[in-house]
Amino acid sequence: MIVVGVERLIRFKLQSWNAFAPGLENHQAWREWLLHPSELSPELGKTSLKQIPPMLRRRFTELGRCAAGAALPLLEDVDAIPGVFASRHGDTPLTLSLLEGIAEGEPMSPTGFSLAVHNALSGLLSIARKDVSEVTAIAATENLIPNALIEAVTQLQDQPRVLCVIYDLPLPELYKAYSDSTPFPCAVAMILSREEGDGFILQSDNGQGSDPTQSDDFMTLLRLLNGLESSVVFGSSLTRSRWRISPE
Amino acid sequence: MSDLQLEIKQMIIETLDLEDIEPAEIIDDEPLFVEGLGLDSIDALEIGLALQKRYGIKLKADSEDTREHFSSVNALAILIESQRAS
Repeated sequence: MIVVGVERLIRFKLQSWNAFAPGLENHQAWREWLLHPSELSPELGKTSLKQIPPMLRRRFTELGRCAAGAALPLLEDVDAIPGVFASRHGDTPLTLSLLEGIAEGEPMSPTGFSLAVHNALSGLLSIARKDVSEVTAIAATENLIPNALIEAVTQLQDQPRVLCVIYDLPLPELYKAYSDSTPFPCAVAMILSREEGDGFILQSDNGQGSDPTQSDDFMTLLRLLNGLESSVVFGSSLTRSRWRISPE
Repeated sequence: MSDLQLEIKQMIIETLDLEDIEPAEIIDDEPLFVEGLGLDSIDALEIGLALQKRYGIKLKADSEDTREHFSSVNALAILIESQRAS
């Protein structure tokens, strides 16, 4: 529990992680790219997702393929695990296409509608994996990564392990004037554990200075996961709250 | 396979994003749902919408007749032909 005046600090163990972006699908590729960054495609391109049967695979949109691409390799030997699914903007390209259909007076696709809710992806994965564990879908305008981790760590009180998946796409052109977003499709999946893995500390941070840019948050997290930073800070200019994550 | 049967199969493939499936792989008298092709309830709604758009056919979601019409490509062909005749 977080109480004002009391130190805001939680510990967790990271058992495993995986991340997915165009052309970056394993630890080594990420590490090399983080050391020598180059521009990534704003579109995901083809993905295989062989773990998902074809009849279900057709329901995965670009955002879903990205998140599943990060999460599924971690889950190969895992039968049942609760999940926290976090996305700042959600499936905005799909929502926009539905809104454009409404504007043109077309009847709405039941499939498109069913997939446009924020927890659709966690539902698809639950069906694909035949895993009926509880899932939580969250969104946050700012500080999405620390908030997703806080939710997942909190669930460790009831569960030995929790999957935490954070994923976003670049916004469609129409929305770009109104908000920033990740420059390329990106998803990070982490299995948090009570007992196993590398220790991390997540704590509120009173440091001064300019707030980190939200659109860089994925890279910040990945630099930490790849051991390229000894601590990273996420910040919100709206709530003036900052969170620091560092290895224990 | 008649022209109408082929047309229905192409409609199913296109509407339901079944890019990996050829029309010839959908058998005229085999079940479309659960067994056979293996479609689900969301697909049924999507086919209902496609029938409405292309052929002006309106179906009740909960009627026993609808269940019958959706049982195979042949059954859908009979439905469309009867709609054209009326």
